[in-house]
Amino acid sequence: MNALRARASLRLAALIAGAVMVPSLAGLGIFYLRASEALHANQVALVEADLRGLAAIYDQRRIIALRQAIEFRAAANPAGGEAFILLAEDGTRLAGTLAAWPEGLPALEGAIAGPRIDRFAVDGAAYLGAARILPGGFALLVARPLASVEATLAGLRGLIVAVAAAMLAAGGALGWMAGRSVLGRIERVNALADRVAAGELDARLPGPRSRDEFGLLETHVHAMLDRIQNLNRATHHLSDSIAHELRTPLNRMAQRLARLHAPAPEVEALRSEMRGTIRIFDSLLAISRAEADAGQGPGLVPVDLSAVAAEVWELYEPVAEDKGLVPEAAIDPGLAVLGDRTLIAQALSNLIENAVKYCAAGDRLRLTLRAAGERQVLTVEDSGPGLPDDVREAAFDRFTRGARDRELPGHGLGLALVRAIAARHGARLSLPPRERGLAIEIAFPRLG
Amino acid sequence: MLSESPDVTAMPETFPSEDAGAHVAPAAAHRRRILIVEDDRETAAAVAAIVEELDCEPIVMRNLPDGVKAAGLARFPVIVLDRMLPGGDGVGAIAQIRAAGSTALILVLSALGTATKRVEGLERGADDYLAKPFEPDELRARLRALLRRDSMAVLDNDLMAFGDVEIRLRARTLHVRRAHVALSPKEFELVTFLARNAGQVVTRMQLLENVWNLHFDPQTNVVDVHVGRLRRKIETAAGRPVILTARGEGYVFQPVPPPEGEAR
Repeated sequence: MNALRARASLRLAALIAGAVMVPSLAGLGIFYLRASEALHANQVALVEADLRGLAAIYDQRRIIALRQAIEFRAAANPAGGEAFILLAEDGTRLAGTLAAWPEGLPALEGAIAGPRIDRFAVDGAAYLGAARILPGGFALLVARPLASVEATLAGLRGLIVAVAAAMLAAGGALGWMAGRSVLGRIERVNALADRVAAGELDARLPGPRSRDEFGLLETHVHAMLDRIQNLNRATHHLSDSIAHELRTPLNRMAQRLARLHAPAPEVEALRSEMRGTIRIFDSLLAISRAEADAGQGPGLVPVDLSAVAAEVWELYEPVAEDKGLVPEAAIDPGLAVLGDRTLIAQALSNLIENAVKYCAAGDRLRLTLRAAGERQVLTVEDSGPGLPDDVREAAFDRFTRGARDRELPGHGLGLALVRAIAARHGARLSLPPRERGLAIEIAFPRLG
Repeated sequence: MLSESPDVTAMPETFPSEDAGAHVAPAAAHRRRILIVEDDRETAAAVAAIVEELDCEPIVMRNLPDGVKAAGLARFPVIVLDRMLPGGDGVGAIAQIRAAGSTALILVLSALGTATKRVEGLERGADDYLAKPFEPDELRARLRALLRRDSMAVLDNDLMAFGDVEIRLRARTLHVRRAHVALSPKEFELVTFLARNAGQVVTRMQLLENVWNLHFDPQTNVVDVHVGRLRRKIETAAGRPVILTARGEGYVFQPVPPPEGEAR
């Protein structure tokens, strides 16, 4: 769950960082391309101007003056500056800074060719050159080194990388902070849901609601919890009212019965019927109450499960012995759970009473309590007839009774109450398979 | 305050006020009073009848505020308190009754009878809790036990002697005719509880609640089995029955034969 949340916040941070960075980087890229184009265009304009200038000197003052002008320009230029070369019609080098017509640069042909812009490299240095054939067949090349342009562009690239890195950091931080604030507020609601799931139905978020979607979400969650709590309260109230409204008239009947001068067996039979009725609705009330409170922490206290098991066992052991069963118990000491002692005792006594009821002399009855990982496992097993096939699926439902057991007293509420009590404690109830007889296991969550 | 209550007409004439208390006839002065706070007429009458049988004087209040007020005005050894009363939950008022200075033992008599409700009542200060519908015998036995508890001064909190039957509480031993009877811890608690109510009927439910601290009605005869075992041990040592069965009601610890043969 936590890993999931972390992933969600990371995704959100990356998304926000990406949303900030992609357009900015695209803008910087376009700027770079434009700058590079402009710088190159500038170089081209410069070499073209030079070429035009030298061509004009040739036009006015012929080759001698051109050679002098080139020599002069070459001498005035430090190494790595402008490059020139002037060839005679037969390819002889007449003047310039270059030793030879650069390799890879196609020779110029034809009579008077217009200027041609070329890139070439000499001794590893890149140049942008303009060349043309002057009237008279002289080939003239004027070139400017691209080193300064490349250096400017390299500087620009470095700047872009630095800005991108800074933006990445800022975007990431911004995304992380935004993610934290958004997810933090979701986290609050999640934590509330966890508390409610753990049974704290009256848990609410403290402080005022903000006037945004999160505030609305919190308000909705609160409204939902209020509704659940009200329903729960209504269940409690209803069961109290049922108890009161049914028991009061039954009580009057009991009081009148006590004053009735009827034959004793008749009175006793009526009383026993009334006791049976009370027991049924007590069980139903206890079941619905335990179900309504299922998994809820409030009302549960640390209980020494080992002690409760031992007490209930001590109460029933003689009963089992008297019926001729072979009772045995293996209770590990000191196992504690968060629970309701009375309910646990009731569930356990229901299980043992069931076993005693259905087993015959000679059958084994065994109670075990042991710790298994995060659970305290209570098992009641017997070697009796086991569950009839017709009820196995619905053994823990209310009013489930096997066709086989119609003759025995009971209403099919014992195991339903056991299930409700297990649910009240957040315990797992199961029927581990056995070759013979029946085993019922309640796995309570360990305390602490 | 009380005269504002619509139930004031139901108040018995013997309602103890500070004035009236001094003028009660001497014979009545020795009758102990039991306060009954119960809104259902039929039930109140039935409880009052049982109180009369115990030679006590029933005082009936029909709602919670009157009941709490009455509890503060006079000394009652025992109060029988309903739960769902006009004016509130009786169990919720226990603290109020105690705060008003009453030392009465409180028996809650309520339609809220599931095990959880009983335990809740006891945890919140009730001395006993009986669910409706109740059987008259059960209520009688419980009231008797409470009255006895109220009157039992702490004489010697170690030795309980009944003729040749001696219980030593500190040593947790039982001697019959000077011979030690070996008992399990639970059997000892059982005999002690019976002995504290010697001569009176103790019901199975009382035993289950007081000896085993279990507050539900088991379907089997668990208590009978335990009492049976204890009874056989003591009878073997004493050569006569000591724990008698009160048919349909419970058991009576009768170590010395009753003078008028009143054991049932």
